[in-house]
Amino acid sequence: MRQASGRVGFLATVGVAVFLLIAALLLMAATPAAGQEPRLAGRLPDPARGQVEALLSAARVAGLPTEPLIDRALEGAAKGAAPTLIVSAVTRLRDELTTVRTAFGVTAAPAELIAGASALRAGASADDLARLRELRSAEPLTVAASVLADLVAAGVPADTAVGAVLAIAPNAADGDYVAFRRNVQRDIALGASPAAALGVRLRGLGELASTPTAGDGTLGASGRKRQKP
Amino acid sequence: MTAESDGRLLERVRAGDREAYALLVDRYQDRLGRYAVRMLGNQADAEEALQDTFVRAFRSLANCTRPEGFGAWVFGILVNRCRTYAARRIRADGIIVTNDDAVGRAAVPHSEERDAIRDAIGWALGQLPAEQREAFLLKHVEDLSYDSMEAMTGVRAASLRMRVFRAREELRKLLAETVRD
Amino acid sequence: MTESRDPLDSLIETLKEPVRLRPDLTRRVMAAIADDPAMATEHKPVRWWRREWTIRVTPVRLLATAAGLAGLVVTGQFLFRPAVKPASSVAGSEASNRLTQFVLVAPEAAAVTLVGDFNDWNVGATPLVRSVGDGVWSVTVPLAPGRYRYAFVVNGTVWRGDPEAPGLEDDFGQPNSVVTIGGA
Repeated sequence: MRQASGRVGFLATVGVAVFLLIAALLLMAATPAAGQEPRLAGRLPDPARGQVEALLSAARVAGLPTEPLIDRALEGAAKGAAPTLIVSAVTRLRDELTTVRTAFGVTAAPAELIAGASALRAGASADDLARLRELRSAEPLTVAASVLADLVAAGVPADTAVGAVLAIAPNAADGDYVAFRRNVQRDIALGASPAAALGVRLRGLGELASTPTAGDGTLGASGRKRQKP
Repeated sequence: MTAESDGRLLERVRAGDREAYALLVDRYQDRLGRYAVRMLGNQADAEEALQDTFVRAFRSLANCTRPEGFGAWVFGILVNRCRTYAARRIRADGIIVTNDDAVGRAAVPHSEERDAIRDAIGWALGQLPAEQREAFLLKHVEDLSYDSMEAMTGVRAASLRMRVFRAREELRKLLAETVRD
Repeated sequence: MTESRDPLDSLIETLKEPVRLRPDLTRRVMAAIADDPAMATEHKPVRWWRREWTIRVTPVRLLATAAGLAGLVVTGQFLFRPAVKPASSVAGSEASNRLTQFVLVAPEAAAVTLVGDFNDWNVGATPLVRSVGDGVWSVTVPLAPGRYRYAFVVNGTVWRGDPEAPGLEDDFGQPNSVVTIGGA
């Protein structure tokens, strides 16, 4: 650099300080007020937005992930749902996430909680999810819980799906769950009854499937009657 | 008028005539495309792999030391590209929800019965490990000799024979299962 | 006389049938190599990083530069916000993202977009392109491990589920599908 001098050095220091000041001011201007979720602005009408913001704040305090709640609100808004319906959907999801976190433990990742909420809605109980955590203590639960929900969506009775997912839980890798679901879905698409397809594919897993733990002869620990959540 | 040979077209490409390369792409895309679709079981991935192959081949034409063997050389590139795409797909499998069957049906209209057969074959092929599927397709669909396959894949002929054998056995089993279904 | 045919032969015969590819493959390849330096006439890029530089520092210039940079930082937040939100905001890291392809067969559609948990349910953020043959629409997006709800919007108004994916958990009376990305 030509013409560098002590004076220029001083001015450069001043310039850098001013730069930082301007940048900080502009960034502050661009940042929404603390606690406000900018993505809800313009997508959710005001009373509902305030209620959802309150739910988000409470979730933050409780240590729950807020992203799924925001997504649910945005989904409702995109679908043109009534604001009250959006608030109740977000509230319901918050409750489900709370239940799943109790079952999966406080260290559960957001993806696991979201999948667990799906499983819960599909018909699994909080006890089932806790059992899944116990059986797969070192494994992520996202895929296992999702497969459970997907099986129910494919027509497998909830009790049977829970039983199957728990039966292979101790030994199955995520890939096994995925293959299991795919095979069951394919069999159903070809005309097999959902329960029969699941039974056949479960037997096909051989040693992956653990001995049923419940005394009622059905699959896994969850062959019992369960109430809808 | 007889078509220009691969060697002649390649000479023209090397002299800066890009249109000659378009003729080579036209000439080989059907055969290569068929392999890619069968290997990857997915039209969109196959077309991406195919385009990628021709672009890469163009960029490394200097490595095509036997101009008359352009077809085999570019096929070798495709085999490698398909391995990469298949690996990517395996990582993402189970996972990716794509309407592959619908893509296949939309791309090649057929009767319902034909679709059913095609679906069953596609499914059976998809059950094979990638290396067995590769060997089976090169041997039985592309009708290559084991020597050519060895040169193309870098896998010893004896291993390739074993892979083809296992693929045939597995396919027989899977087809029987499909029929029972 | 009837012959019992080896089913494997039938399979091979079917596999040998030609496949139909996009008709514009050659055009796309030629477009991709159009500017390829391997064949283009040699051009000499300016070695700007090797040129000798002279920088004069004055307070006014420094302030102008600082303001400009700050402006870029702020406007960049708005201008370069990705259509698909960063995976890390959902779960996992960029390294664990999986390319996920969404496909819808909709021959009647003039436009199809993908909406879901991964793009803030923003109807215009992720358009599908008509990719194969007539009426096959697709788009590929990177997703971190997790479970995502999504749907297609046809012609900006009609909501469609993915016919090949599990559909459930709808709170709002519109079709919904779910995709799970393993790994977390």
